[in-house]
Amino acid sequence: CRASGDGKPAKFQPPPKPVIIDKQKQRAERRFLSPEFIPPRGRTDPLKYYMERKDMIQRRKVFNIPEFYVGSVLAVTTADPYANNKSNRFVGICIQRGGKGLGATFVLRNVIEDQGVEICYELYSPRIQAIEVLKLEKRLDDNLMYLRDALPEYSTFDVNMKPVSHLDHEEIPVNKLQVRMKPKPWSKRWERPKYNIKGIKFELPESKMKEAQKWSQPWLEFDMLREYDTSKIEEKIWKEVNEGLKK
Amino acid sequence: MMPIWTKSGKKHAVTLLKVQDCHVLRYVSKEESGGKTAQLLVGGKNVSPFSKPESAHQIFKEAGVPRKQKVTTFNVTDDAIIKPGTPLYAAHFRPGQFVDVTAKTIGKGFQGVMKRWGFKGQPASHGQTKTHRRPGAISTNKASKVYRGKKMPGKMGNIYRTSFGLKVWRINTIHDIIYVNGSVPGHTNCLVKVRDSKLPTCKEYNKNPPFPTFFADGDEKLPEDLFDEEIFQFTDPSVSY
Repeated sequence: CRASGDGKPAKFQPPPKPVIIDKQKQRAERRFLSPEFIPPRGRTDPLKYYMERKDMIQRRKVFNIPEFYVGSVLAVTTADPYANNKSNRFVGICIQRGGKGLGATFVLRNVIEDQGVEICYELYSPRIQAIEVLKLEKRLDDNLMYLRDALPEYSTFDVNMKPVSHLDHEEIPVNKLQVRMKPKPWSKRWERPKYNIKGIKFELPESKMKEAQKWSQPWLEFDMLREYDTSKIEEKIWKEVNEGLKK
Repeated sequence: MMPIWTKSGKKHAVTLLKVQDCHVLRYVSKEESGGKTAQLLVGGKNVSPFSKPESAHQIFKEAGVPRKQKVTTFNVTDDAIIKPGTPLYAAHFRPGQFVDVTAKTIGKGFQGVMKRWGFKGQPASHGQTKTHRRPGAISTNKASKVYRGKKMPGKMGNIYRTSFGLKVWRINTIHDIIYVNGSVPGHTNCLVKVRDSKLPTCKEYNKNPPFPTFFADGDEKLPEDLFDEEIFQFTDPSVSY
């Protein structure tokens, strides 16, 4: 306390109030809008997408479709009339998410008893009974079809894997794994710049990599007609979907 | 086009058709039309009146309705006559009915014989001189003429075609949308004529329709969505066997 130089009793100064910095709120709220909600560019009436979105929101209210990306490991249970318990569980890594609206699909890949298996599920099909995300992560690419030509160890996932916990506020981890490939020939020429793959460790000679660059189209990134800015559309749809799910 | 699932888990593709400002325009009696039944002229989709002369607006003025883009005729029996000027809604059809849809097909322009009629053409190699997509022979020696209607290259598409026997799965009364099974001729957002099916196998499914039509100011209050019995509704839990 300060020494009273003027003799009068020092006025009581209350201690400064502690400033609580809520780190959880500071981190920008992670907004995830499932890619099938964003309508493709075209001349269709927006009313058609509105009707589809209403149905999608309705399905999401009854059945939980979790957030996942290409590269996350999922376990899907579907109703199967010919199986023992009338249900069928499949675990795999999501290699592709396609389709828009109610027909949105995702492809899961796994290697079971040395046989690679890929199953394409429809997100909104009523036969799906549960979707669990065992491991939520992203990879360097949007499309992992090259796993077909990679060594099988990169596509094997334990069927009885335990779900890896993921906290709500943390950012989604990006797995920067570089995958090693089987010897050529591959199903597609993944070294060509049109596929723009960053997740393969190419062990090809330099001459082959240079030859692949002959097919590059550097003018494509400057083509203005190909630009499709979805930020405003996403805002509107995000609000619509949130309001629909809250009701 | 949209997917739709039944209660057994099967997927069907469905086309959405919107009923946009349809009004009955004129009643044509049996003698006037010269056919077997009376006819009703129906117009759809409002459009600006300024691009056509005043003489073309006669029918619309009599009915008290803005100018329509398309006017079609429907053959009706005498007990199904509707007063000109009444609006027609999507609820005129009910889920479970069968329907014929007519529209102008997508125009492909002048096309060759392989695309237009599905001819096989000729091989790509083995000595073919300048002949890969040509029709080949067009008639025999004995005929010494080419028959009328010989399939030859020409303008393809942009003609009226009908898909018969399409099932109506769902009706939305607020936005006036009919969900019809399968695909429908025409490009997206084209004008389409929807009619009760005339197939003999669909007669029993088309009984008890709203007759003569669905009147919005009547006593019947319909829910927002009318579904067929077999449709899987998204309010239900997942299908299990």
